[in-house]
Amino acid sequence: MFAAKQSDFTPAQRAHVRRTLWLLLVYAVILPPLVWIRANIPVAGYIPVLMAIVASLPVLGIFASWGRYLSDERDEYHQSLTLRRNAVATNATMGAAVAWGFLQAFGVMPLIETYWVPFVWVVIQGLFGCLTLFSRGEA
Amino acid sequence: MLPNPAMKRYNSRMVRLWLVYAAFLLVAIYMFKHQLLSGPVAYGVAVLPAIPIILVFATVGRYLIEESDEYLRMLMVRQTLWASGFALSLATIWGFLESFDLVDHVDAYYIAIVWFLGLGVGAVINRLTLGSTVKC
Repeated sequence: MFAAKQSDFTPAQRAHVRRTLWLLLVYAVILPPLVWIRANIPVAGYIPVLMAIVASLPVLGIFASWGRYLSDERDEYHQSLTLRRNAVATNATMGAAVAWGFLQAFGVMPLIETYWVPFVWVVIQGLFGCLTLFSRGEA
Repeated sequence: MLPNPAMKRYNSRMVRLWLVYAAFLLVAIYMFKHQLLSGPVAYGVAVLPAIPIILVFATVGRYLIEESDEYLRMLMVRQTLWASGFALSLATIWGFLESFDLVDHVDAYYIAIVWFLGLGVGAVINRLTLGSTVKC
């Protein structure tokens, strides 16, 4: 049931997985040196801003890859499953962000970096995928 | 194009939710400003204005379920996807700028505001690429 063969994936899913793995590899390669440079070498002007943007580019690429997958996917059933998962993740993430935002605004919770919001979105997508897999055998 | 029944219900729910939001927000601000709250009640009242906004997101989802016109539903799905991509991308960039100490922290609800702006971005993209957009 869980041993996914390559033939279990549609061509669009394979392309999406390949793009995502490459982007995660790029992210893992570029982030440590950028963090090290920021912590140890005094850089001024626009360079730190560029460094921050460069660090975020692979993550943005992953979002773009999701969009491209939805555009490339010819199997309407898989496309609708992904859309549903995206909708659930977006609603849950935005709900959490709004609730946390008001707790911050009224001073009862600490401020956090906003990249935790996309992180929550990705985690919820994964959880929802697992839940669907366990409940109906299809994610 | 006249609004269909699903659009009318969507608009009606939205108006009511934003009115509830305004009322809850005023109550919360008043209570925190006059330091009437402490302990778990403070958490509850702080979350109070978030509830109608969470329901606004649910209303968008409900509209997608209720909309019987497949073309309009497809337009709205595209808009929400652009909105999510826009909001999550900005949150990622801003988050790295924060962690590199280049900008101040912001309250997380701004992400939701950016998402609503992203709906507008999606509407513009729909207009430019498909020639029409959802007029709720």
